[in-house]
Amino acid sequence: MVTKEEIMKIAILSKLSVGDDEIDQLTEDMSEIISFADTINNAADVESDFDNINNLSNVLRDDEVVPSLDREKILRNAKDSDEGCFMVKNIMK
Amino acid sequence: MSESKIAKLHQGLADKEFSCKELTEKYIDAIEKDNEALNAYVTVTPETALVAAEKVDKKIAAGEKIGLLEGIPMTLKDNISTDGIRTTCCSKILEDYTPIYDATVWDILKKQNAVLLGKTNMDEFAMGSSCENSYFGGAKNPHNTGHVAGGSSGGVASAVGGNIAAYGLGSDTGGSIRQPASFCGIVGMKPTYGAVSRYGLIAYASSLDQIGPITTSVEDCAMVFDAIAQYDKMDSTSQGRKGAAACNTLKNDIKGMKIGIAKEYFEGIRDDVRKSVEQAIDVYRSLGAEIVEFDLPSLKYALPVYYIIACAEASSNLGRYDGIRYGYKAENYKDVNDMIKKTRSTGFGAEVKKRILLGTYVLSSGYYDAYYKKAQNLRGKIVQEFRNVFSGCDVVLAPTVPMTAFENGHAVSDPVETYQTDICTVPVNICGLPAVSVPCGFDDKGLPIGMQLIGNSFAEAKILNAAWQYENAANQFRAADFGVKL
Repeated sequence: MVTKEEIMKIAILSKLSVGDDEIDQLTEDMSEIISFADTINNAADVESDFDNINNLSNVLRDDEVVPSLDREKILRNAKDSDEGCFMVKNIMK
Repeated sequence: MSESKIAKLHQGLADKEFSCKELTEKYIDAIEKDNEALNAYVTVTPETALVAAEKVDKKIAAGEKIGLLEGIPMTLKDNISTDGIRTTCCSKILEDYTPIYDATVWDILKKQNAVLLGKTNMDEFAMGSSCENSYFGGAKNPHNTGHVAGGSSGGVASAVGGNIAAYGLGSDTGGSIRQPASFCGIVGMKPTYGAVSRYGLIAYASSLDQIGPITTSVEDCAMVFDAIAQYDKMDSTSQGRKGAAACNTLKNDIKGMKIGIAKEYFEGIRDDVRKSVEQAIDVYRSLGAEIVEFDLPSLKYALPVYYIIACAEASSNLGRYDGIRYGYKAENYKDVNDMIKKTRSTGFGAEVKKRILLGTYVLSSGYYDAYYKKAQNLRGKIVQEFRNVFSGCDVVLAPTVPMTAFENGHAVSDPVETYQTDICTVPVNICGLPAVSVPCGFDDKGLPIGMQLIGNSFAEAKILNAAWQYENAANQFRAADFGVKL
Protein backbone atom coordinates (compact mmCIF):
# COMPACT_ATOMS: atom_id res chain seq x y z
CA MET A 1 0.00 0.00 0.00
CA VAL A 2 1.41 3.35 -0.99
CA THR A 3 0.08 6.41 0.82
CA LYS A 4 -0.48 9.92 -0.48
CA GLU A 5 2.09 11.17 2.00
CA GLU A 6 4.71 8.78 0.62
CA ILE A 7 4.00 9.96 -2.91
CA MET A 8 4.36 13.59 -1.88
CA LYS A 9 7.68 12.69 -0.24
CA ILE A 10 9.12 10.90 -3.28
CA ALA A 11 7.81 13.68 -5.53
CA ILE A 12 10.06 16.09 -3.62
CA LEU A 13 13.00 13.68 -4.05
CA SER A 14 12.22 13.43 -7.78
CA LYS A 15 11.83 17.18 -8.23
CA LEU A 16 8.28 16.74 -9.49
CA SER A 17 5.13 18.39 -8.25
CA VAL A 18 1.97 16.32 -8.02
CA GLY A 19 -1.23 18.31 -8.39
CA ASP A 20 -4.39 17.86 -6.30
CA ASP A 21 -6.11 16.62 -9.45
CA GLU A 22 -3.45 13.91 -9.99
CA ILE A 23 -2.78 12.58 -6.51
CA ASP A 24 -5.76 10.21 -6.09
CA GLN A 25 -5.30 8.40 -9.42
CA LEU A 26 -1.55 8.29 -8.95
CA THR A 27 -1.87 6.80 -5.45
CA GLU A 28 -4.23 4.15 -6.78
CA ASP A 29 -1.97 3.27 -9.76
CA MET A 30 1.19 3.24 -7.67
CA SER A 31 -0.41 1.03 -5.02
CA GLU A 32 -1.49 -1.42 -7.68
CA ILE A 33 1.94 -1.51 -9.31
CA ILE A 34 3.77 -1.81 -5.98
CA SER A 35 1.59 -4.67 -4.83
CA PHE A 36 2.36 -6.35 -8.17
CA ALA A 37 6.06 -5.71 -7.54
CA ASP A 38 5.63 -7.28 -4.10
CA THR A 39 5.21 -10.69 -5.75
CA ILE A 40 9.00 -10.91 -6.05
CA ASN A 41 9.17 -11.29 -2.31
CA ASN A 42 7.57 -14.74 -2.72
CA ALA A 43 10.79 -15.91 -4.35
CA ALA A 44 13.52 -17.42 -2.22
CA ASP A 45 16.76 -15.45 -2.04
CA VAL A 46 19.52 -16.86 -4.16
CA GLU A 47 23.15 -16.80 -3.21
CA SER A 48 24.76 -14.97 -6.07
CA ASP A 49 23.83 -11.34 -6.52
CA PHE A 50 23.44 -10.09 -10.03
CA ASP A 51 26.58 -8.24 -10.96
CA ASN A 52 26.82 -8.05 -14.72
CA ILE A 53 25.06 -9.33 -17.79
CA ASN A 54 27.46 -10.77 -20.34
CA ASN A 55 30.57 -11.08 -18.21
CA LEU A 56 31.41 -7.51 -19.09
CA SER A 57 34.51 -6.03 -17.58
CA ASN A 58 35.67 -2.44 -17.40
CA VAL A 59 37.59 -1.29 -20.43
CA LEU A 60 40.19 1.21 -19.38
CA ARG A 61 42.04 3.58 -21.65
CA ASP A 62 44.91 6.01 -21.24
CA ASP A 63 43.86 9.36 -19.88
CA GLU A 64 44.68 11.48 -22.91
CA VAL A 65 43.46 14.96 -23.69
CA VAL A 66 41.24 14.86 -26.79
CA PRO A 67 38.96 17.49 -28.32
CA SER A 68 35.45 17.53 -26.86
CA LEU A 69 32.19 19.11 -27.97
CA ASP A 70 32.27 22.76 -28.93
CA ARG A 71 31.14 25.10 -26.13
CA GLU A 72 29.30 27.48 -28.42
CA LYS A 73 27.41 24.59 -30.05
CA ILE A 74 26.49 23.12 -26.67
CA LEU A 75 25.03 26.41 -25.50
CA ARG A 76 22.77 26.61 -28.55
CA ASN A 77 20.31 24.25 -26.86
CA ALA A 78 20.18 26.24 -23.62
CA LYS A 79 17.30 28.67 -23.17
CA ASP A 80 19.52 31.13 -21.29
CA SER A 81 23.27 31.49 -21.57
CA ASP A 82 25.80 34.27 -21.24
CA GLU A 83 29.55 34.54 -21.81
CA GLY A 84 29.96 30.84 -22.44
CA CYS A 85 27.95 29.80 -19.36
CA PHE A 86 24.50 28.43 -18.66
CA MET A 87 22.35 31.02 -16.90
CA VAL A 88 20.07 30.40 -13.92
CA LYS A 89 18.49 32.71 -11.36
CA ASN A 90 20.67 33.77 -8.43
CA ILE A 91 21.35 30.83 -6.15
CA MET A 92 23.04 32.82 -3.37
CA LYS A 93 21.65 36.01 -1.98
CA MET B 1 9.59 -17.80 -49.84
CA SER B 2 11.62 -15.11 -48.23
CA GLU B 3 12.38 -11.88 -50.07
CA SER B 4 14.84 -9.16 -49.13
CA LYS B 5 13.55 -5.66 -49.78
CA ILE B 6 16.98 -4.11 -49.29
CA ALA B 7 18.60 -6.53 -51.78
CA LYS B 8 15.86 -5.78 -54.31
CA LEU B 9 16.25 -2.01 -53.97
CA HIS B 10 20.04 -2.33 -54.04
CA GLN B 11 19.85 -4.32 -57.28
CA GLY B 12 17.48 -1.75 -58.80
CA LEU B 13 19.93 1.04 -57.99
CA ALA B 14 23.00 -0.88 -59.16
CA ASP B 15 21.28 -1.90 -62.42
CA LYS B 16 20.09 1.70 -62.96
CA GLU B 17 16.44 0.59 -63.09
CA PHE B 18 15.75 3.74 -61.08
CA SER B 19 17.94 6.46 -59.64
CA CYS B 20 18.34 6.97 -55.92
CA LYS B 21 16.67 10.37 -56.32
CA GLU B 22 13.64 8.73 -57.95
CA LEU B 23 13.48 6.10 -55.23
CA THR B 24 13.81 8.69 -52.46
CA GLU B 25 11.15 10.92 -54.01
CA LYS B 26 8.83 7.95 -54.20
CA TYR B 27 9.20 7.44 -50.45
CA ILE B 28 8.88 11.17 -49.70
CA ASP B 29 5.64 11.30 -51.73
CA ALA B 30 4.34 8.22 -49.95
CA ILE B 31 5.07 9.82 -46.57
CA GLU B 32 3.21 12.92 -47.63
CA LYS B 33 0.25 10.80 -48.65
CA ASP B 34 0.13 8.22 -45.86
CA ASN B 35 1.69 9.74 -42.77
CA GLU B 36 -1.52 11.46 -41.79
CA ALA B 37 -3.21 8.07 -41.41
CA LEU B 38 -0.23 6.28 -39.84
CA ASN B 39 1.29 9.11 -37.74
CA ALA B 40 4.57 7.25 -38.04
CA TYR B 41 6.87 10.24 -38.59
CA VAL B 42 7.20 13.13 -36.17
CA THR B 43 9.90 14.86 -38.24
CA VAL B 44 10.35 14.41 -41.99
CA THR B 45 13.73 15.29 -43.52
CA PRO B 46 13.34 15.37 -47.33
CA GLU B 47 16.27 17.75 -47.86
CA THR B 48 18.72 15.55 -45.95
CA ALA B 49 17.37 12.52 -47.80
CA LEU B 50 17.80 14.09 -51.23
CA VAL B 51 21.34 15.29 -50.50
CA ALA B 52 22.31 11.69 -49.63
CA ALA B 53 20.47 10.39 -52.70
CA GLU B 54 22.37 12.76 -54.95
CA LYS B 55 25.68 11.50 -53.57
CA VAL B 56 24.68 7.92 -54.32
CA ASP B 57 23.53 8.78 -57.85
CA LYS B 58 26.87 10.47 -58.55
CA LYS B 59 28.70 7.34 -57.43
CA ILE B 60 26.54 5.12 -59.61
CA ALA B 61 26.96 7.46 -62.59
CA ALA B 62 30.74 7.34 -62.09
CA GLY B 63 30.59 3.55 -62.29
CA GLU B 64 31.54 3.07 -58.64
CA LYS B 65 30.28 0.07 -56.72
CA ILE B 66 27.73 0.88 -54.02
CA GLY B 67 27.28 -0.81 -50.65
CA LEU B 68 24.19 -2.83 -49.72
CA LEU B 69 22.65 -0.13 -47.53
CA GLU B 70 23.81 2.72 -49.72
CA GLY B 71 20.93 4.80 -51.03
CA ILE B 72 18.27 2.78 -49.22
CA PRO B 73 15.58 5.09 -47.70
CA MET B 74 15.22 4.45 -43.98
CA THR B 75 14.17 5.93 -40.65
CA LEU B 76 15.36 6.26 -37.06
CA LYS B 77 13.36 6.19 -33.86
CA ASP B 78 13.23 9.66 -32.37
CA ASN B 79 15.45 8.78 -29.41
CA ILE B 80 18.50 8.20 -31.65
CA SER B 81 20.52 11.43 -31.82
CA THR B 82 20.97 13.05 -35.22
CA ASP B 83 23.29 16.03 -35.57
CA GLY B 84 21.28 19.04 -36.72
CA ILE B 85 17.96 17.16 -36.85
CA ARG B 86 15.64 17.58 -33.88
CA THR B 87 15.39 14.56 -31.60
CA THR B 88 12.44 14.76 -29.24
CA CYS B 89 11.95 11.34 -27.60
CA CYS B 90 8.34 12.35 -28.33
CA SER B 91 8.35 14.41 -25.16
CA LYS B 92 7.38 18.02 -24.59
CA ILE B 93 10.58 18.38 -22.56
CA LEU B 94 12.70 17.77 -25.71
CA GLU B 95 10.28 19.20 -28.27
CA ASP B 96 12.81 21.69 -29.63
CA TYR B 97 16.04 19.82 -28.84
CA THR B 98 18.53 19.51 -31.71
CA PRO B 99 21.53 17.27 -30.99
CA ILE B 100 25.01 18.51 -31.86
CA TYR B 101 26.38 15.04 -32.52
CA ASP B 102 25.32 11.80 -34.19
CA ALA B 103 24.55 8.56 -32.42
CA THR B 104 27.17 5.99 -33.44
CA VAL B 105 24.61 3.84 -35.29
CA TRP B 106 23.58 6.83 -37.39
CA ASP B 107 27.21 7.82 -37.92
CA ILE B 108 27.88 4.32 -39.31
CA LEU B 109 24.87 4.37 -41.63
CA LYS B 110 25.40 7.98 -42.71
CA LYS B 111 28.94 7.10 -43.81
CA GLN B 112 27.38 4.37 -45.95
CA ASN B 113 25.10 6.97 -47.56
CA ALA B 114 21.89 5.72 -45.97
CA VAL B 115 18.97 7.95 -46.93
CA LEU B 116 17.31 9.26 -43.77
CA LEU B 117 13.65 10.06 -44.47
CA GLY B 118 12.89 11.32 -40.97
CA LYS B 119 12.49 10.51 -37.31
CA THR B 120 9.72 8.28 -36.10
CA ASN B 121 7.14 8.26 -33.35
CA MET B 122 7.49 6.48 -30.01
CA ASP B 123 6.09 6.35 -26.52
CA GLU B 124 7.56 9.27 -24.58
CA PHE B 125 11.10 8.28 -23.50
CA ALA B 126 10.34 4.75 -24.81
CA MET B 127 7.96 4.13 -21.90
CA GLY B 128 4.95 2.24 -23.16
CA SER B 129 3.58 -0.57 -25.27
CA SER B 130 1.16 1.25 -27.56
CA CYS B 131 2.98 4.39 -28.75
CA GLU B 132 0.04 6.29 -27.27
CA ASN B 133 2.24 7.89 -24.61
CA SER B 134 3.78 10.00 -27.40
CA TYR B 135 3.48 13.77 -27.02
CA PHE B 136 2.54 13.76 -30.73
CA GLY B 137 -0.22 11.11 -30.47
CA GLY B 138 0.29 7.41 -31.24
CA ALA B 139 1.41 5.73 -34.49
CA LYS B 140 -1.22 3.57 -36.14
CA ASN B 141 -1.12 -0.02 -37.31
CA PRO B 142 -0.70 -0.28 -41.11
CA HIS B 143 -2.85 -3.45 -41.14
CA ASN B 144 -5.75 -1.61 -39.47
CA THR B 145 -5.44 2.02 -38.45
CA GLY B 146 -8.12 1.50 -35.80
CA HIS B 147 -5.43 -0.35 -33.89
CA VAL B 148 -2.11 0.76 -32.43
CA ALA B 149 1.28 0.09 -34.02
CA GLY B 150 2.60 -1.01 -30.62
CA GLY B 151 5.42 0.44 -28.62
CA SER B 152 7.54 1.92 -27.84
CA SER B 153 9.13 1.94 -31.35
CA GLY B 154 5.63 2.20 -32.86
CA GLY B 155 6.61 4.81 -35.43
CA VAL B 156 9.43 2.75 -36.94
CA ALA B 157 7.20 -0.34 -37.11
CA SER B 158 4.33 1.64 -38.62
CA ALA B 159 6.64 3.24 -41.20
CA VAL B 160 8.36 -0.02 -42.18
CA GLY B 161 5.14 -2.06 -42.09
CA GLY B 162 3.37 0.74 -43.98
CA ASN B 163 6.13 0.87 -46.64
CA ILE B 164 7.04 4.49 -46.00
CA ALA B 165 10.59 3.44 -45.02
CA ALA B 166 12.50 0.42 -46.31
CA TYR B 167 13.88 -0.29 -42.85
CA GLY B 168 14.48 1.46 -39.55
CA LEU B 169 16.32 1.37 -36.27
CA GLY B 170 14.47 1.21 -32.97
CA SER B 171 15.46 0.64 -29.37
CA ASP B 172 14.35 -2.19 -27.10
CA THR B 173 14.38 -1.90 -23.31
CA GLY B 174 11.62 -4.40 -22.52
CA GLY B 175 10.29 -5.33 -25.95
CA SER B 176 10.10 -1.97 -27.70
CA ILE B 177 11.44 -3.33 -31.00
CA ARG B 178 9.92 -6.81 -30.98
CA GLN B 179 6.42 -5.94 -29.77
CA PRO B 180 5.62 -3.29 -32.43
CA ALA B 181 7.30 -5.47 -35.09
CA SER B 182 4.96 -8.29 -34.02
CA PHE B 183 1.90 -5.99 -34.02
CA CYS B 184 2.75 -4.66 -37.51
CA GLY B 185 3.61 -8.05 -39.03
CA ILE B 186 7.30 -7.42 -39.65
CA VAL B 187 10.72 -8.44 -38.32
CA GLY B 188 12.44 -6.77 -35.36
CA MET B 189 15.55 -7.79 -33.46
CA LYS B 190 16.91 -6.82 -30.07
CA PRO B 191 20.61 -7.66 -30.26
CA THR B 192 22.76 -8.87 -27.35
CA TYR B 193 23.49 -6.22 -24.74
CA GLY B 194 26.74 -4.68 -25.94
CA ALA B 195 26.54 -5.81 -29.59
CA VAL B 196 25.41 -2.41 -30.88
CA SER B 197 26.72 0.91 -29.59
CA ARG B 198 24.24 3.03 -27.66
CA TYR B 199 26.27 6.23 -27.86
CA GLY B 200 23.71 8.90 -28.73
CA LEU B 201 20.69 6.82 -27.77
CA ILE B 202 18.73 8.88 -25.24
CA ALA B 203 18.79 6.69 -22.14
CA TYR B 204 15.77 5.07 -20.53
CA ALA B 205 17.18 2.12 -18.53
CA SER B 206 20.86 1.71 -19.22
CA SER B 207 21.32 -1.92 -18.16
CA LEU B 208 18.50 -2.96 -20.52
CA ASP B 209 18.48 -0.56 -23.52
CA GLN B 210 19.70 -1.84 -26.88
CA ILE B 211 19.38 -0.53 -30.46
CA GLY B 212 18.30 -2.91 -33.23
CA PRO B 213 16.81 -3.22 -36.73
CA ILE B 214 13.14 -3.27 -37.79
CA THR B 215 12.70 -4.68 -41.30
CA THR B 216 10.24 -6.51 -43.56
CA SER B 217 12.37 -9.64 -43.89
CA VAL B 218 14.87 -11.66 -41.86
CA GLU B 219 17.57 -11.15 -44.49
CA ASP B 220 17.18 -7.37 -44.23
CA CYS B 221 17.43 -7.67 -40.46
CA ALA B 222 20.70 -9.60 -40.78
CA MET B 223 22.13 -7.05 -43.24
CA VAL B 224 21.35 -4.09 -41.01
CA PHE B 225 22.58 -5.88 -37.89
CA ASP B 226 25.87 -6.78 -39.59
CA ALA B 227 26.33 -3.13 -40.50
CA ILE B 228 25.62 -1.59 -37.09
CA ALA B 229 27.14 -4.18 -34.73
CA GLN B 230 30.57 -2.63 -34.27
CA TYR B 231 32.74 -1.96 -31.27
CA ASP B 232 32.57 1.68 -30.22
CA LYS B 233 34.94 3.31 -27.77
CA MET B 234 32.26 5.90 -26.97
CA ASP B 235 30.04 3.27 -25.29
CA SER B 236 31.67 1.57 -22.30
CA THR B 237 29.32 -1.44 -22.65
CA SER B 238 30.14 -1.91 -26.34
CA GLN B 239 31.63 -5.20 -27.51
CA GLY B 240 30.58 -5.30 -31.16
CA ARG B 241 29.64 -8.41 -33.06
CA LYS B 242 31.28 -11.66 -31.99
CA GLY B 243 31.99 -14.13 -34.76
CA ALA B 244 31.23 -13.96 -38.45
CA ALA B 245 28.58 -11.81 -40.11
CA ALA B 246 25.03 -13.07 -39.61
CA CYS B 247 24.47 -12.95 -43.39
CA ASN B 248 27.13 -15.63 -43.93
CA THR B 249 25.17 -18.38 -42.18
CA LEU B 250 21.65 -17.06 -42.73
CA LYS B 251 20.53 -19.76 -45.14
CA ASN B 252 22.31 -22.71 -43.52
CA ASP B 253 20.44 -25.94 -43.03
CA ILE B 254 18.94 -26.26 -39.54
CA LYS B 255 18.63 -30.06 -39.44
CA GLY B 256 19.40 -31.15 -35.90
CA MET B 257 19.19 -27.63 -34.47
CA LYS B 258 17.78 -27.85 -30.96
CA ILE B 259 14.84 -25.51 -30.43
CA GLY B 260 13.77 -25.05 -26.84
CA ILE B 261 10.20 -24.52 -25.68
CA ALA B 262 9.33 -23.42 -22.12
CA LYS B 263 5.74 -23.89 -20.99
CA GLU B 264 6.01 -20.76 -18.83
CA TYR B 265 6.10 -18.64 -21.99
CA PHE B 266 2.69 -19.99 -23.02
CA GLU B 267 0.80 -19.23 -19.81
CA GLY B 268 -1.90 -16.59 -20.28
CA ILE B 269 -1.33 -16.44 -24.04
CA ARG B 270 -4.43 -15.88 -26.21
CA ASP B 271 -5.53 -19.06 -27.99
CA ASP B 272 -5.04 -17.86 -31.56
CA VAL B 273 -1.54 -16.62 -30.73
CA ARG B 274 -0.67 -19.94 -29.08
CA LYS B 275 -2.00 -21.84 -32.09
CA SER B 276 0.07 -19.81 -34.57
CA VAL B 277 3.23 -20.34 -32.53
CA GLU B 278 2.49 -24.07 -32.26
CA GLN B 279 2.09 -24.24 -36.04
CA ALA B 280 5.51 -22.60 -36.34
CA ILE B 281 6.91 -25.30 -34.06
CA ASP B 282 5.53 -27.87 -36.52
CA VAL B 283 7.25 -26.05 -39.38
CA TYR B 284 10.52 -26.36 -37.47
CA ARG B 285 9.93 -30.08 -36.95
CA SER B 286 9.39 -30.47 -40.68
CA LEU B 287 12.69 -28.65 -41.29
CA GLY B 288 14.47 -31.27 -39.20
CA ALA B 289 14.91 -29.27 -36.00
CA GLU B 290 14.70 -31.08 -32.70
CA ILE B 291 12.16 -29.64 -30.23
CA VAL B 292 13.34 -29.72 -26.61
CA GLU B 293 11.10 -28.89 -23.65
CA PHE B 294 12.43 -27.32 -20.47
CA ASP B 295 11.38 -25.23 -17.48
CA LEU B 296 12.09 -21.62 -16.59
CA PRO B 297 10.62 -21.53 -13.08
CA SER B 298 11.68 -17.95 -12.31
CA LEU B 299 10.19 -16.52 -15.49
CA LYS B 300 7.09 -15.53 -13.53
CA TYR B 301 9.18 -12.94 -11.69
CA ALA B 302 10.62 -11.41 -14.85
CA LEU B 303 7.94 -8.76 -15.24
CA PRO B 304 8.03 -7.24 -11.74
CA VAL B 305 11.85 -7.51 -11.80
CA TYR B 306 11.87 -5.64 -15.10
CA TYR B 307 9.60 -2.83 -13.94
CA ILE B 308 11.53 -2.33 -10.70
CA ILE B 309 14.91 -2.16 -12.44
CA ALA B 310 13.74 -0.17 -15.46
CA CYS B 311 11.97 2.46 -13.34
CA ALA B 312 14.88 2.70 -10.90
CA GLU B 313 17.31 3.36 -13.75
CA ALA B 314 14.89 5.74 -15.45
CA SER B 315 14.48 7.82 -12.30
CA SER B 316 18.22 8.34 -12.31
CA ASN B 317 18.67 8.79 -16.08
CA LEU B 318 15.85 11.33 -16.33
CA GLY B 319 17.30 13.40 -13.52
CA ARG B 320 19.24 15.30 -16.20
CA TYR B 321 16.17 17.15 -17.49
CA ASP B 322 16.32 20.35 -15.51
CA GLY B 323 15.58 23.03 -18.13
CA ILE B 324 19.05 24.53 -17.74
CA ARG B 325 21.16 22.99 -20.49
CA TYR B 326 18.64 21.92 -23.14
CA GLY B 327 14.99 21.30 -23.77
CA TYR B 328 11.87 22.88 -22.39
CA LYS B 329 12.18 25.41 -19.57
CA ALA B 330 9.27 26.56 -17.44
CA GLU B 331 8.43 30.24 -17.17
CA ASN B 332 7.36 32.15 -14.05
CA TYR B 333 9.25 30.59 -11.19
CA LYS B 334 10.59 31.75 -7.84
CA ASP B 335 14.07 30.23 -7.81
CA VAL B 336 16.21 27.54 -9.46
CA ASN B 337 14.62 24.72 -7.51
CA ASP B 338 11.13 25.89 -8.42
CA MET B 339 12.20 26.25 -12.07
CA ILE B 340 13.49 22.66 -12.21
CA LYS B 341 10.35 21.33 -10.53
CA LYS B 342 8.01 23.27 -12.82
CA THR B 343 10.03 22.32 -15.92
CA ARG B 344 9.88 18.62 -15.07
CA SER B 345 6.25 18.64 -13.96
CA THR B 346 4.97 20.28 -17.14
CA GLY B 347 7.61 18.81 -19.49
CA PHE B 348 7.08 15.12 -18.70
CA GLY B 349 3.90 13.21 -19.53
CA ALA B 350 1.89 11.17 -17.00
CA GLU B 351 3.50 7.76 -17.65
CA VAL B 352 7.02 9.16 -17.45
CA LYS B 353 6.26 10.90 -14.15
CA LYS B 354 4.74 7.70 -12.81
CA ARG B 355 7.84 5.69 -13.69
CA ILE B 356 10.19 8.30 -12.20
CA LEU B 357 8.15 8.21 -8.97
CA LEU B 358 8.12 4.40 -8.97
CA GLY B 359 11.85 4.28 -9.54
CA THR B 360 12.50 6.79 -6.79
CA TYR B 361 10.23 4.79 -4.48
CA VAL B 362 12.01 1.45 -5.01
CA LEU B 363 15.39 3.12 -4.50
CA SER B 364 14.39 5.11 -1.42
CA SER B 365 15.65 4.16 2.00
CA GLY B 366 13.43 1.59 3.64
CA TYR B 367 12.35 0.08 0.31
CA TYR B 368 15.67 -0.44 -1.47
CA ASP B 369 16.27 -3.93 -0.03
CA ALA B 370 12.73 -5.17 -0.56
CA TYR B 371 12.49 -4.02 -4.16
CA TYR B 372 15.63 -2.96 -5.97
CA LYS B 373 18.09 -5.28 -4.26
CA LYS B 374 15.70 -8.22 -4.36
CA ALA B 375 14.99 -7.57 -8.05
CA GLN B 376 18.71 -7.57 -8.88
CA ASN B 377 19.09 -10.78 -6.91
CA LEU B 378 16.28 -12.42 -8.91
CA ARG B 379 17.74 -11.04 -12.10
CA GLY B 380 20.84 -13.12 -11.39
CA LYS B 381 18.65 -16.17 -10.91
CA ILE B 382 16.82 -15.66 -14.23
CA VAL B 383 20.18 -15.18 -16.01
CA GLN B 384 21.35 -18.48 -14.50
CA GLU B 385 18.21 -20.32 -15.62
CA PHE B 386 18.67 -19.12 -19.21
CA ARG B 387 22.34 -20.16 -19.11
CA ASN B 388 21.24 -23.65 -18.15
CA VAL B 389 18.69 -23.69 -20.96
CA PHE B 390 21.32 -22.81 -23.54
CA SER B 391 23.52 -25.64 -22.40
CA GLY B 392 20.82 -27.94 -23.81
CA CYS B 393 19.47 -26.08 -26.85
CA ASP B 394 20.46 -23.63 -29.60
CA VAL B 395 17.52 -21.25 -29.63
CA VAL B 396 14.36 -20.73 -27.60
CA LEU B 397 11.05 -20.20 -29.37
CA ALA B 398 8.25 -18.21 -27.70
CA PRO B 399 5.36 -15.91 -28.55
CA THR B 400 6.40 -12.25 -28.84
CA VAL B 401 3.23 -10.77 -27.34
CA PRO B 402 0.31 -12.62 -25.67
CA MET B 403 -2.17 -10.90 -28.01
CA THR B 404 -2.44 -8.88 -31.23
CA ALA B 405 -2.49 -5.07 -31.57
CA PHE B 406 -4.87 -3.28 -29.17
CA GLU B 407 -7.59 -1.00 -30.42
CA ASN B 408 -6.64 2.67 -30.26
CA GLY B 409 -7.19 4.08 -26.81
CA HIS B 410 -7.56 0.63 -25.31
CA ALA B 411 -4.12 0.05 -23.87
CA VAL B 412 -4.02 2.58 -21.10
CA SER B 413 -6.83 1.70 -18.67
CA ASP B 414 -5.33 -0.57 -16.02
CA PRO B 415 -1.61 -0.01 -15.33
CA VAL B 416 -0.70 -3.56 -14.31
CA GLU B 417 -2.72 -5.12 -17.12
CA THR B 418 -0.93 -2.87 -19.58
CA TYR B 419 2.48 -3.83 -18.18
CA GLN B 420 1.53 -7.52 -18.50
CA THR B 421 1.54 -7.29 -22.29
CA ASP B 422 5.36 -7.17 -21.96
CA ILE B 423 5.50 -10.53 -20.21
CA CYS B 424 7.13 -12.45 -23.10
CA THR B 425 9.55 -9.74 -24.18
CA VAL B 426 11.18 -8.51 -20.93
CA PRO B 427 13.13 -11.69 -19.98
CA VAL B 428 15.75 -11.24 -22.71
CA ASN B 429 16.39 -7.64 -21.69
CA ILE B 430 16.89 -8.73 -18.10
CA CYS B 431 19.42 -11.31 -19.31
CA GLY B 432 21.02 -9.22 -22.08
CA LEU B 433 20.19 -11.90 -24.67
CA PRO B 434 19.36 -11.41 -28.37
CA ALA B 435 15.88 -12.14 -29.74
CA VAL B 436 14.22 -11.64 -33.10
CA SER B 437 10.48 -11.37 -33.67
CA VAL B 438 9.13 -12.85 -36.91
CA PRO B 439 5.54 -12.80 -38.23
CA CYS B 440 3.89 -16.22 -37.79
CA GLY B 441 0.20 -15.69 -38.59
CA PHE B 442 -2.87 -13.48 -38.36
CA ASP B 443 -5.87 -13.30 -36.06
CA ASP B 444 -9.46 -13.38 -37.36
CA LYS B 445 -9.42 -9.59 -37.77
CA GLY B 446 -6.37 -9.79 -40.02
CA LEU B 447 -3.99 -8.45 -37.37
CA PRO B 448 -0.49 -9.98 -37.37
CA ILE B 449 0.83 -12.44 -34.79
CA GLY B 450 4.55 -12.72 -34.03
CA MET B 451 6.89 -15.22 -32.45
CA GLN B 452 10.39 -14.67 -31.17
CA LEU B 453 13.56 -16.70 -31.42
CA ILE B 454 15.84 -16.12 -28.46
CA GLY B 455 19.53 -16.92 -28.51
CA ASN B 456 22.46 -17.12 -26.14
CA SER B 457 24.65 -14.02 -25.83
CA PHE B 458 26.10 -12.96 -29.20
CA ALA B 459 24.26 -15.77 -31.02
CA GLU B 460 22.46 -13.38 -33.40
CA ALA B 461 23.68 -15.38 -36.42
CA LYS B 462 22.03 -18.49 -35.03
CA ILE B 463 18.61 -16.95 -34.27
CA LEU B 464 18.59 -15.19 -37.65
CA ASN B 465 19.45 -18.48 -39.36
CA ALA B 466 16.52 -20.18 -37.59
CA ALA B 467 14.23 -17.23 -38.36
CA TRP B 468 15.20 -17.19 -42.04
CA GLN B 469 14.51 -20.92 -42.41
CA TYR B 470 11.02 -20.48 -40.97
CA GLU B 471 10.33 -17.44 -43.15
CA ASN B 472 11.54 -19.27 -46.23
CA ALA B 473 9.35 -22.31 -45.49
CA ALA B 474 6.20 -20.55 -44.29
CA ASN B 475 6.48 -16.80 -44.89
CA GLN B 476 3.72 -14.98 -43.01
CA PHE B 477 4.61 -11.48 -44.19
CA ARG B 478 1.80 -9.62 -45.94
CA ALA B 479 2.40 -6.16 -47.36
CA ALA B 480 0.01 -3.59 -45.87
CA ASP B 481 -1.98 -1.40 -48.20
CA PHE B 482 0.09 1.75 -47.68
CA GLY B 483 3.18 3.42 -49.02
CA VAL B 484 5.57 2.50 -51.80
CA LYS B 485 4.58 -0.55 -53.86
CA LEU B 486 7.59 -2.40 -55.20
